[in-house]
Amino acid sequence: MDEFQEILQDFLVESFELVEKLDEDLVELENNPEDLELLNGIFRVAHTVKGASSFLNFDVLTHLTHHMEDVLNKARHGDLIITPDIMDVILESIDLMKALLETIRDTSADAGIDVAACVSRLDKITGGDGEVATPEVVAAPEPVVEEPVIEEVMTEEATSEEDEIDYDNMSPDDLEAEIEKLLQQRQEEDRIKREAKIAAGEEVLAAPPEPTEASSTEETPVPKAEPTPAPAPTPPPSAPVVPKKEEPKAAAPAKRTPAAVEQTIRVDVKRLDHLMNLIGELVLAKNRLIKINDDVEERYEGEEFLEELNQVVSIVSLVTTDLQIAVMKTRMLPIGKVFNKFPRMIRDLSRELDKKIDLVLDGEDTELDKSIVEEIGDPLVHIIRNSCDHGIEVPADRLASGKNETGTIGLKAYNEGNQIVIQIDDDGKGLDTDMLKNKSLEKGIITEKEADSMSEKEAFGLIFKPGFSTAAAVTSVSGRGVGMDVVKTNIEKLNGMIDIDSELGVGTSMKLKIPLTLAIIQALLVGVQEEHYAIPLASVLETVRISKDEIYTVEGRSVMRLRDEVLSLVHIGDIFEVERILDSSEHAYVVVLGLGTSKLGLIVDTLVGQEEIVIKSLGDYLKGIEGVAGATIRGDGGVTLIVDVVALMSMARDVKATPMNEASASAQITLEKSKPSDYKVMIVDDSKTDRTIMRKALEPMGITLVEASDGQEALNILKSGEHNFDAMLVDIEMPRMDGYTLATEIKKYNKYKNLPLIAVTSRTGKSDRMRGVESGMVEYITKPYSADYLSSVVQRNVNFKAEFL
Amino acid sequence: MSEKLKQIINQQSDQQNSDLTQLDDIVQLVGFVIGEEEYAIPILSIQEIIKPFTWTRVPQVPPYVLGVFNLRGAVIPLIDLRLKFGLPSKNQSDETRFIVMRHGDDVAGFVIDRLTMAIRIKKTDIGPAPDTVNGDETIIDGVGKQQDKIITILKVHKLLERDF
Repeated sequence: MDEFQEILQDFLVESFELVEKLDEDLVELENNPEDLELLNGIFRVAHTVKGASSFLNFDVLTHLTHHMEDVLNKARHGDLIITPDIMDVILESIDLMKALLETIRDTSADAGIDVAACVSRLDKITGGDGEVATPEVVAAPEPVVEEPVIEEVMTEEATSEEDEIDYDNMSPDDLEAEIEKLLQQRQEEDRIKREAKIAAGEEVLAAPPEPTEASSTEETPVPKAEPTPAPAPTPPPSAPVVPKKEEPKAAAPAKRTPAAVEQTIRVDVKRLDHLMNLIGELVLAKNRLIKINDDVEERYEGEEFLEELNQVVSIVSLVTTDLQIAVMKTRMLPIGKVFNKFPRMIRDLSRELDKKIDLVLDGEDTELDKSIVEEIGDPLVHIIRNSCDHGIEVPADRLASGKNETGTIGLKAYNEGNQIVIQIDDDGKGLDTDMLKNKSLEKGIITEKEADSMSEKEAFGLIFKPGFSTAAAVTSVSGRGVGMDVVKTNIEKLNGMIDIDSELGVGTSMKLKIPLTLAIIQALLVGVQEEHYAIPLASVLETVRISKDEIYTVEGRSVMRLRDEVLSLVHIGDIFEVERILDSSEHAYVVVLGLGTSKLGLIVDTLVGQEEIVIKSLGDYLKGIEGVAGATIRGDGGVTLIVDVVALMSMARDVKATPMNEASASAQITLEKSKPSDYKVMIVDDSKTDRTIMRKALEPMGITLVEASDGQEALNILKSGEHNFDAMLVDIEMPRMDGYTLATEIKKYNKYKNLPLIAVTSRTGKSDRMRGVESGMVEYITKPYSADYLSSVVQRNVNFKAEFL
Repeated sequence: MSEKLKQIINQQSDQQNSDLTQLDDIVQLVGFVIGEEEYAIPILSIQEIIKPFTWTRVPQVPPYVLGVFNLRGAVIPLIDLRLKFGLPSKNQSDETRFIVMRHGDDVAGFVIDRLTMAIRIKKTDIGPAPDTVNGDETIIDGVGKQQDKIITILKVHKLLERDF
């Protein structure tokens, strides 16, 4: 019961979503009847609803959608032009479908709505030449009320007061009369019903007006079948049911347990994304807070308020971390949620198809982003149906070919690299490439020429073409050639890939590889020059430190010897066009990447460490950059690109080896100074006043001065290479990047190894001086200072020529 | 004295009236300078204007795409309009800003040399783009005439379009 309810809930949510979209599409289609894409889409909705409802034994709904499908299928193949008349019938059938879904939602069964009239008209369209049956037929109250098969069974069977009349053969006048009669009869019934209710002392409000209204609209011989508004989800959206029976029937739904609404809220993924971004902000703010706390601690050591501050900071950081995890978790769901509905589906299918099939599930705990879990359900249903119908043979055939009578379908999920793989294996008859090609030729999907030049894989891919089907007959399970098309569309929507492997007579294996959008992965962070890249840890086999002379060049490609194999190497800088400015040391690190059986060594300058990262897309503007799978935001707020290992492997083949030791950084150009203004000194200080004081002190020398207001700006000026500086005056306390960090950064550049850095600061502690020396400062001037002193220190450091004085 | 006062009041009400009548015909733009030229974009297509900060280089893109940066948790491309417009690159100064523009779901940051001001301009004062750059290809939406200068109004959706 519970399991059924869960499946039912999913089915309802999904169906309502689909139907909602359908309305839009249909209206669009009416304006644009030639749009095959649109038609395919609409058809798929009908197909999906039909498939799901048949598993849940909603016979009425299946019956209706099956016929809708027939009509749409004809239209899809161009055998039928959608005229407004046909569209009316289709729209009506969709309204009926909605009404049925609503009935199912309220009562867990799809009884009580008559679809026969609509079905017969749909049949007319399929059977005929595209002419719609005279709309009057709408009035025919076909007295078929399907009996709900599951759960509580309706106790009464609706019967008709009328004998079946062959309306088709009636003259228009007779029809009018008949309709008139029926209408009167119905009104009479309604009247009696109302009276009965009033008599029964029911409140007027309690009498649901919709059912009567809805039924009378259905009965009314409107010349054009207007799409009836979906009846509101009031109890029995009644169809032609005799009034006497109305009473017990109205009571029935109250007894049923309506499909219980789960204690969940469906939230737009965009809102979660937004929440996630906000939390990212919060994390950055938290990191800054911690840093400030440390600074304050240093400055006011021993003060009492520190303890309080400490507590607050640690609470904030704790809560932020928890919040971050909580929100991430809201987006992750185990794939078991999708897998759970398959055992039942397989059971039903095997019964229907008269086959024996076992389902083996594995990796149900694999967590997937919610959006993917939602998208993956449909494709899996189609693939598994396909495997059951076309893959697994009937027991007799299986025995004949020496296989176990019972076929097995394996469904498993696991992580591979930065992808999640969902693998569907069957031990059925496998795919016959020749047969696939022939069928495709027959259906005009490919040309003879294409068929000849097709590889095995490409031939397997044919099963995903719209309209392709190998089944000889259209069954309710498959054979229309939509299913696999749905699979491909949905998987591509997730930026995923489908990989088919098949051996004739042995079985078929299908792998859906889906990237982890917004999933969290472990990554190895590597550095090259001053850039960082994240490599998904799942593709990293090992890292080794080598000395440069271990690298050999074979046919223009770098290789190295790793134990007893030869590993081809590529420098990450060559892949990502990194400029080599920094001094490259004697040693390098090689990250050994493995993907399946292929291996590649990636040379990097530094290994930064392992970190958990959240994958973010680069957006539409930058999508499709080869070798980049996305980006992530690091703790310091910077963006780090994530390496796409698959792409990198193929890119590596085209990259020529660059000699490692050819440092592009040229030695510092020391131009002959011919006048004082040839000397350039940069002043880095966040205070405008301090900069002015220094400027005033140095201006008399006549040297060129460039100002920067913080470390970051100074670094940018330096990197631009526009100026060749002879010395820098650096303040220690600055926003964004302080003096120590700046000095450390500058000293990373070969070119600036010998650039004199002079600290100008009010920090006088001994430890401050030590740090200054460690970070590469040559002089340490404490504020306040005299102009003469500053100028003499600068002169000394830039080797100011005496003649300019 | 009262004569003068009257005059002023009249003037004021005149101005107010004319303001009211033209409310519909006025376009609000934000002006900025790249190189020597002043350009403008509709104020509503600006998400925010921020001071420059660090970005991450992205490989295999034209030079004018500087890279990506983190705008409160979103990874957003950064485009240097100087380079895009074929001007030599220039170091960032105190006046350099990133303008984050949005059109539908497309967002990108653009490096500009200097902001000028918010401009209210009458629709009638906006002329079409010069004939030499007509068609859908141009990123020039029109030319706004002001008393002492003209301003090139750019199409934001064209700026945000990937053209490589």
